[in-house]
Amino acid sequence: YDGLAPGCHLFPFNVTIRSDRRSTCKGSHVLHACVGYCESSAFPSRYSVLVASNFTHNITSASRCCTISKDAKVKVRLDCPRGRHHDEIEILTAKACRCDMCRKSRY
Amino acid sequence: VSVTAPLRVFRGCAVREFTFVAQKPGCKELRITTEACWGRCHTWERPILEPPFIHRHHRVCTYSHIRLLSARLPGCLPHVSPLYHYPAALQCHCSGCSTLDTECETF
Repeated sequence: YDGLAPGCHLFPFNVTIRSDRRSTCKGSHVLHACVGYCESSAFPSRYSVLVASNFTHNITSASRCCTISKDAKVKVRLDCPRGRHHDEIEILTAKACRCDMCRKSRY
Repeated sequence: VSVTAPLRVFRGCAVREFTFVAQKPGCKELRITTEACWGRCHTWERPILEPPFIHRHHRVCTYSHIRLLSARLPGCLPHVSPLYHYPAALQCHCSGCSTLDTECETF
């Protein structure tokens, strides 16, 4: 990501998907993520914030994070052994990105 | 952390001078200049196959080490303490926004 300018940008990455119980069918596709550097700051809270939080929130963070603002479903064909049949699976890909509200990460 | 790149292309999280107006009922306002945090953190959202279907890495530029300072507000009523406590940043880093001690806002 070293070459990324500030802001939030589409970023291609390759996925390989395996399906069926024995994971014998597989397919690859290039999807897009949103990756970037959005502005944020932290500073002493206003008095109204201090009172509303019972003086626990003495810091205010005003932040934006890189988010997917528009997505689309794409169909990925999964080829199975010996070419007898194939599966299809729908997955999401990013179509547009924006610096927007930060959310809790899941880890 | 020192900011060596121009601010418009700066990536990372640094201590930066910040001026705010300290106020509380029963006292006059006081303009205070202190050290706070500012920057652009690396954040991303990526589609995944399993729920919740979006994997995100959202971090904000916030205090990692603080010093609690006190200022004396002018013109306070006799029964009102003139002391106003506020945090000063010694170090800043990109981290999750903790609602334990921080008011997490977007802008």
